Amino acid sequence: MEDETDLANFALDYAMKKGVSYAEARYEHQEQENFILKNGVLDALYVGQDRGVGVRVLVNGALGFAATNLRTKSDVRAIVDDAIKIAKASRRKTKITFAHEDAIEMNWSIPEQRKLADVSVEEKIAEVQSVDRDLMALGLKIPARYFQFSDNRIVKFFANSEGSRIRSYSPRLRVFYFLTITQDGQVEQTYRNYGWSGGWEGIAEWDLRKRVIDEAKSMQRSLVEGKKSPEGKMDLVAGPQVAGIASHESCGHPTEADRVLGREASQAGKSFIPPDGIGMRVGSEVVNVVDDPTVEHAIAYYRTDDEGVKARRRYLYKEGRVTEFLQNRETAAAMHTRSNGSARAVNYNVEAIVRMANTFVEPKDYSVDELLEDVKFGVYMKSFMEWNIDDKRYNAKYAGREAYLVENGEVKHPVRNTIIELTTPAFWSAVDAVGKDLDFEAGFCGKSDPGQALDASLGGPTIRLRNVYLR
Amino acid sequence: MEDVSSRIVEKAIGLGCQDAIADVIANRSYQIRFAQNEAVISNRWRESTASVFFVYDKRVLASDIKDLSRVDEAVERLVKIAKSSQQNPDYAGIADGPFRYARVRPDPKVLSLDEGGKYVEAAIGGATDQGAKECAGSFWKYEDEHFLATSNGVEAHDHRASLYLSIRALLSLESSGHGIACATRLSQFNPEKAGRKAGRIAALARSPKPGKAGRYTVVFDPLIFGSLTDQTGGRLGAWMVMAGLSPFGKKIGKKVASSQLTLYDDGSGESIARKRFDAEGVPTRRNVLVNKGVLKTYLHNTSTAKKFRTKTTGNAGLVSPDPHAIFVKPGDRTRDEIFSEVKDGLWLTNTWYTRYQSYVTGDLSTIPRDGIFHIRKGDVVEAWKDIRLTDNLLHLLKNIEALGDEPEQMMWWGEVSIPNSVPYARIKDVGITKSAE
Repeated sequence: MEDETDLANFALDYAMKKGVSYAEARYEHQEQENFILKNGVLDALYVGQDRGVGVRVLVNGALGFAATNLRTKSDVRAIVDDAIKIAKASRRKTKITFAHEDAIEMNWSIPEQRKLADVSVEEKIAEVQSVDRDLMALGLKIPARYFQFSDNRIVKFFANSEGSRIRSYSPRLRVFYFLTITQDGQVEQTYRNYGWSGGWEGIAEWDLRKRVIDEAKSMQRSLVEGKKSPEGKMDLVAGPQVAGIASHESCGHPTEADRVLGREASQAGKSFIPPDGIGMRVGSEVVNVVDDPTVEHAIAYYRTDDEGVKARRRYLYKEGRVTEFLQNRETAAAMHTRSNGSARAVNYNVEAIVRMANTFVEPKDYSVDELLEDVKFGVYMKSFMEWNIDDKRYNAKYAGREAYLVENGEVKHPVRNTIIELTTPAFWSAVDAVGKDLDFEAGFCGKSDPGQALDASLGGPTIRLRNVYLR
Repeated sequence: MEDVSSRIVEKAIGLGCQDAIADVIANRSYQIRFAQNEAVISNRWRESTASVFFVYDKRVLASDIKDLSRVDEAVERLVKIAKSSQQNPDYAGIADGPFRYARVRPDPKVLSLDEGGKYVEAAIGGATDQGAKECAGSFWKYEDEHFLATSNGVEAHDHRASLYLSIRALLSLESSGHGIACATRLSQFNPEKAGRKAGRIAALARSPKPGKAGRYTVVFDPLIFGSLTDQTGGRLGAWMVMAGLSPFGKKIGKKVASSQLTLYDDGSGESIARKRFDAEGVPTRRNVLVNKGVLKTYLHNTSTAKKFRTKTTGNAGLVSPDPHAIFVKPGDRTRDEIFSEVKDGLWLTNTWYTRYQSYVTGDLSTIPRDGIFHIRKGDVVEAWKDIRLTDNLLHLLKNIEALGDEPEQMMWWGEVSIPNSVPYARIKDVGITKSAE
């Protein structure tokens, strides 16, 4: 990677000679393989290699960014010139500054027990096909199904004009699947998404075969035995997938500082939490929600962010109150604080902005049985299908996929399409107990323009909500 | 660049592939993002990529070659991987060329545009003139050049350039409006008008009250109607139907919408997504998808067309067919008539986060954002907030009562993924829900 390091250093030297107050260069090399197995047939195999350099400069209090995959010195010089020129043309009245960070030099990589590069594409396809075969052996009516497998090996070199030099290697693995099961004219659909930072051993860690089979059986049971979900105020026991999506949507997104400050207003929106909202109550005292890039093997694992800031756990909500915003250096300066290492970009060719990593409800000590035994009447929603939330992150909806009626602590028959439609404070304030069965799924988090669909994980243990309206 | 495309195709065929496509794309786009009434970052790209598609004994492989200085090496590696892959029995080849293409050239004034600050300022000025306090959005100059070669005789070139601006104007967190400007010619680009619209809606949305659940007749502004038609066009791709991601399966020849609705896809039509050919080199053309409410066709590439026993519609992506640009045939109502015929209903201006409980049935919900208005006899009674549209895609399409006579080109981050040229629409019996107390 010596020549690529040289290119990044060359970009910095050239930018500093041009008189910028700050410059950074990000070189990235991504090697991807992905394929879709649709209705048992390998649709197409995609194999890609992408590498290039992105340069961001701060000039007269304005930001310019330019990127190229043409890795010659003349092209790198051209993008530095581009970035400076367009930054100068910004004519900002208020000057952008960056919060202070000490320069760091670091090499880090995620270990692989079995390197992704050493696993043949035939083996990858065969693994997914064997899961598909076992699924079809159940004999269910599955008119449409697809599995999407992808892996990505990401090498990065970050350098900035303050002296930071960071090399990293992140191998990532992902499986997404989507199933349609029918019975007597009724349809049930699902999708699930699993991610892993590390090597091929991730496949075994997920236990994908069992998860897919269990999901299909629960769909069939819902179709055969499922009844209308009860309507009214009752208790809700929500599984890790539901806790995870709620953590991501109504805790992670509203605490993104760029959203709070209005930088995303036209796209991903703003936040119901105002800039001075630290300490605001949004949930009960048992609610701790964290975002943590250092969870080992989670798909959004990293040790330094894309501004060269060390990663650490962030408590977004602690004991039900807003505790910390996710910050990059730009938002931190605007809020008179420090970055907490939340800047990420999907590749070298887009700016790094404030992003979540692995967001989850912090587990406590209840077993699932203990959470259920105290419920006189309610719903146990293990997973969801439809969901959405408004652009201020206040009104959320989660529609059940796998859910059951609970009476006097006993799990009864499946209930179909249970709807949770609550405000963020109503949801989190109703939580009275938190389980210990922490589990994660992967997601793609969308934000920014051009859109950056970024690896994220969403998780939590099972949680119990008291006396909420369901339908 | 033509040489590179042809060389890739020749190399792949020389290595034993039966079909090969190479689309060398030079991207020279430029963007200004703005927020709090100022530019927050300006971006520029200098990228060249060869998107390639190789087929070896029905083993299908797609890739992007980013290092065009070493294409021979890349092709050799990719063909080797393709040989180790598995056959796709559904694969049915690529289109036979050569083809004749329409003459389309980008506006030289768009190509030479090097600085977009004044357009951002015009949009912000338009919004603040209407009372907006905070504006955010993006200005884009899109420019990319395609050099396409296929093993079936296609050698084609397309230089595409257009201008785009999206602006959200806010008076407060809950009082906002959105405006869009799209143009392929500089003389038609009107960011100030987009800003004025965003500002006007934001001003009307001052001090919104919590909305009420129920079923309403709803006037859809072009931006939110574009979201609905974008969903429709996207889910008419044959791949989506086969994957269980569409409510239009087995509905060819059947009524899927009100007779008011005629909807077509047209990559050759006037839009910022105008292109001369699809990924197989087939000339783009108008394809009527829904005619007076009746579903006429899905969108196809050569392989999906064979599966459905029809012909390609010229909508090939490298793997699956997709819409290029959606157009709705204008109706016969003026904007005023669309509104004044509503005795008691809603006017929605934008939405986001459309998600399905079942893609096969079309059960969905989506969250209106920006101005939400309760209207009576066409007049705004009050601004609302905090509602959700909870309904079914087919139910919504079947309940279109009236369409406006002036389509506007809409495209927006997230929800309107490609240009949708759509008028105002009025839809009856639309389900509205809200968060429980």
